[in-house]
Amino acid sequence: MQSSVGVCSSSSSNWLFRFSAAAAPLLPSSLTFPISKSSSSSLITLSTPSLISSPLRSTASASAADSSHLTEMASNDAQDPRLPRISSAIRVIPDFPKPGIMFQDITTLLLDTKAFKDTIDLFVERYRDQNISVVAGVEARGFIFGPPIALAIGAKFVPMRKPNKLPGEVISEEYSLEYGTDKMEMHVGAVQAGDRALVIDDLIATGGTLCAAIKLLERVGAQVVECACVIELPELKGREKLTGKPLFVLVKGA
Amino acid sequence: MFSKHNAPKAEDPRLKAITEAIRVVPHFPKQGIMFQDITTLLLDHKVFKDTIDIFVDRYKDMGISIVAGVEARGFFFGPSIALAIGSKFVPLRKPRKLPGRNITGAWYLGEVISEKYVLEYGSDCLEMHVGAVKPGDKAIVIDDLVATGGTLSAAISLLERGGAEVVECACVIGLSHFKDDCSVNGKPLYFLVEPRLQ
Repeated sequence: MQSSVGVCSSSSSNWLFRFSAAAAPLLPSSLTFPISKSSSSSLITLSTPSLISSPLRSTASASAADSSHLTEMASNDAQDPRLPRISSAIRVIPDFPKPGIMFQDITTLLLDTKAFKDTIDLFVERYRDQNISVVAGVEARGFIFGPPIALAIGAKFVPMRKPNKLPGEVISEEYSLEYGTDKMEMHVGAVQAGDRALVIDDLIATGGTLCAAIKLLERVGAQVVECACVIELPELKGREKLTGKPLFVLVKGA
Repeated sequence: MFSKHNAPKAEDPRLKAITEAIRVVPHFPKQGIMFQDITTLLLDHKVFKDTIDIFVDRYKDMGISIVAGVEARGFFFGPSIALAIGSKFVPLRKPRKLPGRNITGAWYLGEVISEKYVLEYGSDCLEMHVGAVKPGDKAIVIDDLVATGGTLSAAISLLERGGAEVVECACVIGLSHFKDDCSVNGKPLYFLVEPRLQ
């Protein structure tokens, strides 16, 4: 079992502060509030081809795997030393859900207790002094990252769900898929006018899902301060679909 | 290690607020079901934190290496518990969500195993990644509510097939027929409150 990172030996009410304890800020001052568009470029990242592949997979997939590794970005900012481990904890699975898609699997990140804790810490450090009152997490992987962030920064957590999952009165927003459309729903009354909101998901691809979430929050009068994801796929230009809202990500995938 | 009656002491002052934070939605998803909606609990930061604290207090010194959360509402609680007690988080998901092939033969890392189960209303299938757990792991299973225990049974099966030892199942809400025999398939069951009637 892992060492005592994250294990709370003192009273449990300290655990929030333990795992969101501030290191000296590693973010350049341009990334602190007010969060301008220019500062929303991501911290990252990371060069190491980090495919965590099964030793039993055929090498025929190796070339496909190479093109999926996380790319190195020229950056003027010092890279946060926690990012390489986070990046290499993400597993790329070729041809899922269909041929040609290199799926960024964050479940392996959740198995690395230090990397998962660091991921949450990076978001918490960014947002805890921003008076965020709502963390909206997109079903389902946004439900894994959103609640720990919400708990650490003192915000409420609001799930943004697929149709017919939320009981009671909802508002819904349709969005485009590659083929067809889908709908996202939010509870009426969960968010109020004047709430300052974050939208959290594990990954941004085309930006359609995040855009729907932004719209739902804005329809009830909330202010979407930023969208935050672990991973961005920049080639899909999702960043441009966020109706001008800034995007913060930890790592980028090719 | 566990008493026969695993429900927390009624005197815990946090439990009243937890019960009151849960909203009942009548006749959802179908007529006759009084749905216990925990999303209102997630909107109350203090009550949400207290809920997590109670689970963390219980499990932090038990050498738990895996917190398995049942999709989707187990995801609201499991990761925070896992982070606080230093465990891995393993999502147990609906079919075809976990990336990788669903296999029934030889095991490959990244492949997926599945277990069918009967719901309070309907039936479904739960999946887990091969390699997420291994022999020697001690696991707890988290979900928002236990009704028939069918989902938790499937979760226990998946973890045991992966070689883990399931130490306990934990839910926020447990139906009252579990009060006297707090177990699912022989594994202890722990829950905080009973369902609200309205």
